[in-house]
Amino acid sequence: MDQKLRNVQLNEYMHSNKIPDSWPASEKVMVCVSASPFSKQLIRTTWQMAASLKVEWIAVYVETPRRLPKSEEERLALLSNLQFAEELGATVMTITGNNVADEILELARNQNVKQIVIGKPRYSRIWEWMHGSVVNQVIRNSHEISIHMIQGQVESRRDKKYIIFSIENLKWSPYFIITASVALLTILLKIFGLSFDLVNIALFYLFPVLFGSVRFGIGPSFYAAGIGVLAFDFFFVPPVYSFTVSDLRYVISFAVFLVVATLTASLASRLRHQLHEVRQREAITSTLYALSRQMTAVTDLKEALKSMVRQISETVGAQVAIYLPSETGELRITEFSSGDLNWGQREPSMVLVKWVYRNGEIAGNGTQTLHNSPELYFPLKTGDQIHGVLAIHLKNEDLVVTPDRMQLIKALTSLSAMTIARIKLQEEAKVAHLTAESERLRTALLDSISHELRTPLATIIGSVTALIDGDVVFNSKDRQELLSTIREGAMRMDRLISNLLGMVRIESGMLRLRKAWCDLEDIVGVALTQVKDSLQNRVIRLEIEESIPPIEVDDVLLEQVLVNVLSNAIKYSPDESEIVLSAKENKNMIEIIIADKGVGIPPHELERVFSKFYRGESAKNIPGTGLGLAICKEIIEAHGGTIRATENSPNGTIITVSIPLIDPPLLQNENLQEEGVKPHDEFGSKNTGYR
Amino acid sequence: MTSSGAKILVIDDEPQIQKLLRVTLQARGFEIVEASSGEDGILQAAMVRPDLIVLDLGLPDIPGMEVLQRIHEWTQIPIIVLTAKDREEDKISALDSGADDYVTKPFGMGELLARIRVALRHNAKSQDEPILKFGRLVIDLAGRTVELDGEKIKLTPTEYELLKILATNAGRVMTHKQLLQQVWGGHQYDSNSHYLRVYIGHLRKKIETDSARPNFIITEPGIGYRFMANT
Repeated sequence: MDQKLRNVQLNEYMHSNKIPDSWPASEKVMVCVSASPFSKQLIRTTWQMAASLKVEWIAVYVETPRRLPKSEEERLALLSNLQFAEELGATVMTITGNNVADEILELARNQNVKQIVIGKPRYSRIWEWMHGSVVNQVIRNSHEISIHMIQGQVESRRDKKYIIFSIENLKWSPYFIITASVALLTILLKIFGLSFDLVNIALFYLFPVLFGSVRFGIGPSFYAAGIGVLAFDFFFVPPVYSFTVSDLRYVISFAVFLVVATLTASLASRLRHQLHEVRQREAITSTLYALSRQMTAVTDLKEALKSMVRQISETVGAQVAIYLPSETGELRITEFSSGDLNWGQREPSMVLVKWVYRNGEIAGNGTQTLHNSPELYFPLKTGDQIHGVLAIHLKNEDLVVTPDRMQLIKALTSLSAMTIARIKLQEEAKVAHLTAESERLRTALLDSISHELRTPLATIIGSVTALIDGDVVFNSKDRQELLSTIREGAMRMDRLISNLLGMVRIESGMLRLRKAWCDLEDIVGVALTQVKDSLQNRVIRLEIEESIPPIEVDDVLLEQVLVNVLSNAIKYSPDESEIVLSAKENKNMIEIIIADKGVGIPPHELERVFSKFYRGESAKNIPGTGLGLAICKEIIEAHGGTIRATENSPNGTIITVSIPLIDPPLLQNENLQEEGVKPHDEFGSKNTGYR
Repeated sequence: MTSSGAKILVIDDEPQIQKLLRVTLQARGFEIVEASSGEDGILQAAMVRPDLIVLDLGLPDIPGMEVLQRIHEWTQIPIIVLTAKDREEDKISALDSGADDYVTKPFGMGELLARIRVALRHNAKSQDEPILKFGRLVIDLAGRTVELDGEKIKLTPTEYELLKILATNAGRVMTHKQLLQQVWGGHQYDSNSHYLRVYIGHLRKKIETDSARPNFIITEPGIGYRFMANT
């Protein structure tokens, strides 16, 4: 293969796989993130580095069994760091493994990472000697990857947040409760416990420790252990009411007690912590599940927005508003949770909303953009498309949305965005379908009109010009033939125009029923006279039940239906065949059945013959517009009835029209039967028949 | 038939229709006067005193209905209205305001001629003929009896009254309203329109051979009934 060709193929390959033009661009930079407040600085540095190199970057956190976040604060700090990285555009990864250094390097190699940023450790040499230094391991095994080690500095702004957390966590009440319970235990033991052995009494003091660790966490439980030992020493170990210990063996007991208490406390508090986390995850999962279930069920945008707002506002415990662009492209509040909505319409809010809508990034409280705003703005985006903005109004400006809450809100907003996108797409698809349908109709209409109008017009013009032309003298038979051709052509055009007008009237919603009480037989009679001329030698047999009650219909329209159906029956059946028109009452319906012995309709077309401009395959060479049955269907459905086609055996079609039956009004004061038997010679005066 | 030589005023703005009517009606021996607008029509009606007026309801200057009413203010000249299809309301209101009959465009010349003849005859004939004969059906107005094929048939007073009104107006369309007014006495015709259908049904059963294919009493859908004179 020559070089040129190979280059072309390579270009094509790169193009088709969306590979950027130069290979080095796919080299990445990675930053190792931990819960440490210094991680933020590492992240920022890496971001700058990646930006100047114009490469992608990864923020990674390695979770090992030993390095599970120890406390709530630590977990939140970690989440916050990872989120910060995400905000700056990093691909965030959390991996689990036994050896941090190995995991980091493996990931780096997999991801084509050429530079790793890692924080300089601040733990002591002893710790390092005991646990081994992750950094050293990474450096030792890095080979081709360059490692940047950075000395961390505390970022003041971010720290404020965690001070708030720690103050919140440093509550005094657990210590009071622990102190009180130890005191109570001591009193109880003093009263009832003298019969116990001292060793057992020591065991009793483990209760507050356990209670404290499960209930309040590790601090209070250590405190419980401490004052437990003191109380035990003071009140029970001889000499009583003194901290001095006479028997030195008790010192060992104290030590054992403290070790046991500490171990129990740390285990129990870890357990408590895990339980808390599991519960929180469960809550998040169930929230997401609930919302996603609601979202999949709705097809109406308004309804969807309502349940989104409700769900998010309940989850966050704050007011929520959704801004969507109006038809003119202007953003306005489309849905909001109950309460005062002033905040959402103020000018600064609107500016932020527009910014978020344009940039597709989170803004407001605690974020990179306007971090001290009392509101948080999330773009509702799927892929590159931004559908709107979701705003959360925090009641208090000092309140901070915790990173895991933030994660939940993000999940909820992306779910909402997906729903909005789905509903929008659905609507677009509907519109597209309608457009296609109307396009199809228009084409069919044009075809139909041009063909159906031109054919008779051609025969008329042809015949007339022949007759006008003075050169040829027709004998009277030919003359008559030409004239009847003209008449038939004109009649056909008239029928077409009536059908088109009828369809237009129906389509434009101008079909108004002028219902009146009618005798079916009467309507059938009128329809029969209408089709009489086209019958030739066909016979229409009537089987109308005597007992059929009067029906409330628009007689002109029902007659049109019967004429259309009968015309079809005549058109598609051979001469000299029989067409049966029967009518009967069937379960509160009047059924009019018209059965012919014509060409019939194939089973797969039985339903489609009622759609506009549809002509059956077998009907292609018989003139027609495909409007007749469509009009029938509209008219019958306007009457609350149905029309359907079935096959006749052995051949032909059966059209069944069903119209609901309503009880006719009673004839007042008029006994027809009685009057009916009166002989007419009783007509004494002219006025007998008047009322 | 003495219709030949009668003077007919055609009020229509369409030159094509004018030409068609002029040629065909003149060929039948009628004298034709033309007017191409409503105002012109009203003027001509007063000046030439036609025996019959053919009036198109869709005129450019004033509504056909108004022309009809203004002519009827001073004369009882029979008027036949030309209307478009599917305009049942127009037909009914024209008939109820005194038009003699209607013809729907597009129309066959035979149909129009039949209407013209009926209207002219109706106008000429006073109602003093005591016996009406329609082929097999004979109505003796003086004796209040009805015979079919020479046999007397039993009719209730209402049925007889209905038949009498239809027969004396043979060939002409009678609207539901007209029939109800004349048989039941002029009020409540909306609530009573159902009676009419019932009585027509009864009448048909008594005088028609096949009530689904009537020969005497023909339904004009949405408008009323017509008693066929030439059966």
